[in-house]
Amino acid sequence: MSFNFNDDNLEKIELLKSKYPKVQALSLPLLWMAQYQDGFISLEAIQEIAKICETPMMEIYKVSTFYSMFNLQKLGKYHIQLCKTLSCKLCNKDDVLKSIQNELNIQVGESTSDGLFTLSQVECLGSCGTSPVMQLNETYYENLTPISIVEILKALK
Amino acid sequence: MIILEDKKIVSSKFHIENSHTLSVAKEHGTYSSIERLFTLSSEEIIAIIKESHLRGKGGGGAPAGNKWALMPLGELKPSFLAVNCDESEPGTFKDREIISKDPHLLIEGIICTCFAIKSHTAYIYVRGEYKEFSNILQSAIDEAYEAGYLGENIFNKGYKLDVIVHRGAGAYICGEKSALLESLEGKRGHPRVKPHQQECEWYFDNPTLVNNVETIASVPFIVKNGADAYKEFGTSSSPGTLLFAMSGHVNKPGVYESEFGICMMDYINHYGGGIKNGKKLKAIIPGGASTKILTADEVGLAKLDYETMKALGSSLGTGGMIVMDEDTNMVEALKNLLEFYHHESCGQCTPCREGTGWVDTIMQNLLDGVARGEDIEKILEISKTMNGQTICVFAPAVSDVIDGFITKFRSEFESYVREDLT
Amino acid sequence: MSLVTVNIDDKSYEAKENSLLIDLLILHDIKVPYFCYHESLGADGNCRMCMVEIEGKKRPQIACDTFVSDGMSIQTASEKISSVRKRILELELINHPVDCPICDQAGECKLQDYYMDFGLYDSNIDMKEKVHNKKHIALGSSVILDRERCVLCTRCVRFTSNITKSGELGVINRGDKACISTVPGMKLDNPYAMNVVDLCPVGALTSKEFRFAQRVWFLKSTPSICHGCSTGCNIFIDHNQEKYKEDKIYRIRPRKNREVNGDFICDYGRLSYKNLQENRQQELLNKSNVISYEDALLELNSKISGSKNIVILVDANLYNEDIAAISNFSQKIGAKLVCPTECYFDDSFGDDWLKSDYKCANLQAIKNYKIDSLFSSDQQIDLLINFNHPSFSKFSSKQSVEFSTHKGSSAELVLAIPAYSEYSGTTINDANIEQYSQKAITTDVATISEYLSDLSKVAL
Ligand SMILES: Cc1cc2nc3c(=O)[nH]c(=O)nc-3n(C[C@H](O)[C@H](O)[C@H](O)COP(=O)(O)O)c2cc1C
Ligand code: SF4
Ligand code: SF4
Ligand code: SF4
Ligand code: FES
Ligand code: FES
Repeated sequence: MSFNFNDDNLEKIELLKSKYPKVQALSLPLLWMAQYQDGFISLEAIQEIAKICETPMMEIYKVSTFYSMFNLQKLGKYHIQLCKTLSCKLCNKDDVLKSIQNELNIQVGESTSDGLFTLSQVECLGSCGTSPVMQLNETYYENLTPISIVEILKALK
Repeated sequence: MIILEDKKIVSSKFHIENSHTLSVAKEHGTYSSIERLFTLSSEEIIAIIKESHLRGKGGGGAPAGNKWALMPLGELKPSFLAVNCDESEPGTFKDREIISKDPHLLIEGIICTCFAIKSHTAYIYVRGEYKEFSNILQSAIDEAYEAGYLGENIFNKGYKLDVIVHRGAGAYICGEKSALLESLEGKRGHPRVKPHQQECEWYFDNPTLVNNVETIASVPFIVKNGADAYKEFGTSSSPGTLLFAMSGHVNKPGVYESEFGICMMDYINHYGGGIKNGKKLKAIIPGGASTKILTADEVGLAKLDYETMKALGSSLGTGGMIVMDEDTNMVEALKNLLEFYHHESCGQCTPCREGTGWVDTIMQNLLDGVARGEDIEKILEISKTMNGQTICVFAPAVSDVIDGFITKFRSEFESYVREDLT
Repeated sequence: MSLVTVNIDDKSYEAKENSLLIDLLILHDIKVPYFCYHESLGADGNCRMCMVEIEGKKRPQIACDTFVSDGMSIQTASEKISSVRKRILELELINHPVDCPICDQAGECKLQDYYMDFGLYDSNIDMKEKVHNKKHIALGSSVILDRERCVLCTRCVRFTSNITKSGELGVINRGDKACISTVPGMKLDNPYAMNVVDLCPVGALTSKEFRFAQRVWFLKSTPSICHGCSTGCNIFIDHNQEKYKEDKIYRIRPRKNREVNGDFICDYGRLSYKNLQENRQQELLNKSNVISYEDALLELNSKISGSKNIVILVDANLYNEDIAAISNFSQKIGAKLVCPTECYFDDSFGDDWLKSDYKCANLQAIKNYKIDSLFSSDQQIDLLINFNHPSFSKFSSKQSVEFSTHKGSSAELVLAIPAYSEYSGTTINDANIEQYSQKAITTDVATISEYLSDLSKVAL
């Protein structure tokens, strides 16, 4: 198996190179790019990024494990990331979590058997004023209630 | 109830529809500082910022002008501006408002700042989760390039300026300025060992200024109206305004700009509509999770300025208040925050890497009913070790959080202790 | 750079202005605990163990990030400092088993030392709470990682990223999940990889070869010079003679020499001890029959006196003292002294750091004695006397004698000699530095000088 950035991305990479003083700075943008392209970041992608960034593969690998949003494994089509930090907790995120678990029949860290949903709890999403909050893939859903969350999930099924 | 007068410097356009677009923003005054900007020299602008006493709004409150003055002007090396939009401090969600509701104000501020420090490249480091909002910011930047406000020759003034949005990928510690720069260099977000002298920051060994989004967004007002106009807001040592915010047990949580110096309770009542469900207030974490918690009594004395908050043994931080009503379980609340810190420690230095995990474990034992009385002392002792012995102030902040909760609500913690355990 | 005076624990010391405080403390053997600092790797500031108290500073400071200035006053052992260190060490031990008796690093582990120093055995660390990390991970063919023992000082990482620049190791994950790793499926694999074992301040990295072979406190260390190539890295030969057994080398370690090899050696040199003790020639043989020392000398003497055209081959690994004696000897018997050096040359071995293209320890002496290094014979040789030169079999002669360290000689007369680890002498490396190797291992076998001086008695 090998990984290649698609033509669109290759073009973007050339542009990016002109925006930073050193090519090593591209590691985060390229890891994002690889994740969008494949849905997760494979070791092959890491190898390719290391080549572009002119750095040992380890440098990219250790970066990829530092940031919580980089997925080195494939996840469900919809990644539910429910905020678990204080403001959301004060505003009853636990009830929302229960509601999700009931609806999908999975625990935190698991995926539904049809591969549609993966459930995670994450730290403060910077949306505490509209808590409880979840990020579904990249979209924020705010002011959740145990009822509204079920509607959202139902609509996705 | 006291009625507060709205005083807005950075949020004046938040309520306007489509304020994120160039045409609407311009119509309402964005980019109007540019004219005056180009009549000033670097030194003059820095002097004005110093004179305004503008303080950093990312949590530390450092005087911005002094920081700008550390930038070596006329260096052969290129210099950079890194705008901090990592916004991961629990309870803080104000910069998001700026980049999604008035991104052009930020761009205008970046133009002013870069011109002052003679930088031709600015990066905006946006936390990875804020994809939707950084998209809005990116569109605004694209519009600004189109209009000639950014690029090779901005406003036809012969000045080149590039603005690049750089996305983080989920790491609270990347909000710490040196970790942010490490991350921007493509590395893990490990804070750097602090320099011995006061100096600017360094991006790939080039002089660099790091400021918070809101700090930068305050600059156009000062450039346009002068330092005195800014000082008309707030108090003499905390001049200006801040995008204070509320979350937790209040009726109308959200971001509301206010001048410094007003009473915390007035703010909560006026903007937040008081405590939810008519409950009594128990405590407030005043400025993002990492500031020391205040009891209801202390909140009664609290004013929203740097000095008063410091006198209360806490700090103003980011101005993001987390409000807790009388029913809040303080043991669970502290455990919740310690999980956050346990998850977010970069793991570089021993006291923090091991300490954050250990206190979290002991707290879990406490909640599980398998902790002894001495375990509370143990937490305090570990917390002491985490204070002042680390590379960055993450660990000392955790130490303050622990200290605040346990000393102020000790009996609640003790009620979980099982003395019969051997 | 100017000298300044600093006061440490109420005594004055001189140091270069702006030099690192930790270097000064190490130089004067002033006890300061540290994991992450290393002279060859620099400061990283992550372990927070090297705390000292500096007059005028509110908080304790780390010595590895403190530059000395005139009049600075430092306390390294105050109560405040001791308690700070003790507490940090205690945190370090949370996720680190204190099972020294079964740890391979016992006796060479800083964690163990400090643990004893600070008397933490009574600390209330609950073992059950420890994060249990994977043990015994093979990082490559020669190094094993035990994550439970790792204190994340990143010395090993900095070695592969800054020194060998091969970048195989890194810290992955974050917080207390952070650990040392290679990229999945990749190995720690470079010609200097095993240095990380010496660098590791605790028992987290061990050598597959040495693992549990010996407890270190039984070993004797003898300073020597590696004979793997003409760089002449300074080494310690660690050996031990167990009861009723032969004196045996268990490992070779680098010995610090800033001018030659710094703190490091290559893996080839490190592992060369095996060849040093395997397949060794122990007996004296005449046409494959064991003979006595006296008979051997008589046989050698008669071979010399019966031959006209004598060629002597000398190995470029022998000590200066041997080469001098051989050179004398060859003049005395009118022999031609040669040392073809082509066989030592291997440019696939050399690199731009330590390893040199010539795999012999004393090439410089061959040059100094102006010994013919290009010799190839077209004439008929009557007697070929080889002093351990590897190309012996390439030459044909009517008669042959070989002084040999290893078995397998095809000469009629074979005389056992000791390997360099078994006697003392000097070599000159390719930077023209003369260096001394001390005898590490005891042997009954006579040295070349002994043979030659006894031979002159027989010949009388
Ligand atoms: C652990 C930690 C997290 C931080 N997070 C942020 C952040 O998310 N946003 C921010 O602007 N500043 C953050 N800071 C403060 C920055 O280090 C820095 O002081 C700030 O960006 C400077 O800008 P200012 O002077 O304009 O406030 C953080 C500091 C620490 C120690
Ligand atoms: S204090 Fe914590 S977050 Fe800061 S450098 Fe040390 S380990 Fe990292
Ligand atoms: S394995 Fe050893 S050298 Fe490497 S980080 Fe861990 S303790 Fe340090
Ligand atoms: S570089 Fe040469 S002298 Fe040094 S250890 Fe390796 S083989 Fe021995
Ligand atoms: S605590 Fe959930 S978004 Fe901040
Ligand atoms: S040796 Fe100084 S911090 Fe590790």
